[in-house]
Amino acid sequence: MSSTVAATRVPVLAIRQVSKRFGPVEALVDVDLVVHPHEVVALVGDNGAGKSTLAKVVSGVMAPDSGVIELDGEPVAIASPSDAHQAGIATVFQDYALCENLDVTANLFLGRELRERSLMRDGEMERVARGILRVLTSRIPSVRTPIAHLTAGQRQTVAIARTLIGSPRLVILDEPTAALSVAHTAEVLNHIERLRELGLGVVLISHNLNDVRAVSDRIEVLRHGRNNGSFDTRNVSQEELLAAITGATQVPEPRPSDVGR
Amino acid sequence: MTAIAGFSEMVTRNLRQSGIFAAFVLIVLLFSLLNSNFLSPGNLTNIVLQYSYILILAIGMVMVIVLGQIDLSVGSVVALTGAVAAVLVIRNGAPWWVGALAALAVGGLVGMWQGFWVAYVGIPGFIVTLAGMLLFRGMTYRVLDNVSLSPFGGTYYDVANGFSTNGWFGGYGVDVFTLVIFGLAVVGYAVSQWRTRMGRIAYQQVVESMPIFVAKIAVVAVVVMAFGYQLAQYRGLPNILILLAVLILAYSVITQRSVFGRHIYAIGGNLNAAQLSGVKVRKVTFWTFVNMGLLAGVAGVVFSSRMNGAQPSAGNMFELDAIAAAFIGGASTTGGVGRVTGAMTGALIMAVMSNGMQLMGVPQSIQQMVKGLVLLLAVAFDVWNKRRADAR
Repeated sequence: MSSTVAATRVPVLAIRQVSKRFGPVEALVDVDLVVHPHEVVALVGDNGAGKSTLAKVVSGVMAPDSGVIELDGEPVAIASPSDAHQAGIATVFQDYALCENLDVTANLFLGRELRERSLMRDGEMERVARGILRVLTSRIPSVRTPIAHLTAGQRQTVAIARTLIGSPRLVILDEPTAALSVAHTAEVLNHIERLRELGLGVVLISHNLNDVRAVSDRIEVLRHGRNNGSFDTRNVSQEELLAAITGATQVPEPRPSDVGR
Repeated sequence: MTAIAGFSEMVTRNLRQSGIFAAFVLIVLLFSLLNSNFLSPGNLTNIVLQYSYILILAIGMVMVIVLGQIDLSVGSVVALTGAVAAVLVIRNGAPWWVGALAALAVGGLVGMWQGFWVAYVGIPGFIVTLAGMLLFRGMTYRVLDNVSLSPFGGTYYDVANGFSTNGWFGGYGVDVFTLVIFGLAVVGYAVSQWRTRMGRIAYQQVVESMPIFVAKIAVVAVVVMAFGYQLAQYRGLPNILILLAVLILAYSVITQRSVFGRHIYAIGGNLNAAQLSGVKVRKVTFWTFVNMGLLAGVAGVVFSSRMNGAQPSAGNMFELDAIAAAFIGGASTTGGVGRVTGAMTGALIMAVMSNGMQLMGVPQSIQQMVKGLVLLLAVAFDVWNKRRADAR
């Protein structure tokens, strides 16, 4: 599970020199990020550091102004959420983006329903949905329950289960534990470990350093839209992390990718 | 172990749904007590004929409302499509089907026009269709040169007034074909209920106990067959009832089983989530409005056929009847909730009330007041029911 083993393989996701501006605001400046299979990479930073913007760029919600995104070593263009999904990138957005009026199965398959001509294969979708919830060892009463009747933790479970529809290679979670109680948070962290065991690359965006330290293999810090440090989770102290997040320490020298520009 | 729900639990759990049906049954009982003529074969047939176009409009309207939009233009579109058909058939002597197809085509074009502005320009449906209401009303006056055209006569007239299947299977005073069709409908209902029940048991979900299940189907069967028998005694199956049955079945499947229908519910439930999930929001919105336009075209044909002509002021306020039907039938004002079957029940409640009050000679002014209050109470009940469910 260590990042040294992972580093010898082709990364599932490699972001190189990605930049994104909103008018005068530099949301992302030459950001690099690499994620390997079987690896949970945490993306941390203060408010407005560019974490969610990066998630949106990778999941096709926004196009970057410049830079390259590679999947399994191949450069890809991700113009829309469905492009991202087809490329094997699944995202859980901050406000868990579920339709409360629809049931669990309908939400899991939303936008990618199993179909026969234009009719849905309801039975098949329910079967797959039950299978996925079993993999996550979740406590959802029934796949036919409308989302409106679920607790916050159960909703987040559904949002994470959604990422397993199709055959994803990379899962991006944007603040999955932000609105959850302690017990529900523990459940979600278990789900994230299951994603790693399934061999996926996971990007975990979070404010909560305890959660990050509990589940991640590597921690990448963003500050003012720039990379500001990369740490092995096992060998980093809380002080070092806080220093990088608040800007007390800067990235010392130009990173290799900056050389030759 | 499959849980079995008692009768009272069933009723409370589906309060919204059962409330609608209970209200419908009560209203029918009330009017049949107040007026012995209400359940007569002739009057039942009349209710179907008289309000068929509202039912047709309500099918499209509930889909637009579930999407989180509204369509205020359907009354004007009914007038415009009927006018186009009348000009072709009455003034230019075209065959009936040319007029009917032209009306549908105009309805489809109107839907595309409105769908374009809502879906691709991003103007709220309320504004686009308010504009459409004026625009298409004006066009109707132009198409008709400010005069009424009548009569259609012939096959076009029979669309909404005919009983083409009467006597296919013979029968003395009672049309056998009608009874056979209603019998098939009851069998179909029983089979589909049975399959749903088996499915729920397979997934270990709550079902009613067997006696309640059987009683429910028996009650439905008796009511449906009684209705069919009354129709059969009169002139058999109205063409329009066949058309309605086909539309209701088709649109129940489209809204509940098709990907398109699922996406309408998703957009109405959470636009943002639908977009992020890769639902093609613009495309679905566009086609929902095209569909509404087409159904308004169908209603235009039915209404002009029923009136045996086209008037510049035809279809005035139909949009409000259709919208009221959808809301009485349980659609949510915020979108995402509502069913075709609910809207049909809502439309029937409106139809039965109008017809019943007319039979009793209630003045038009009082009729409007009663209908307004029923709409208000139905939505208030919905809001109260939702708050109660949230509180638990």
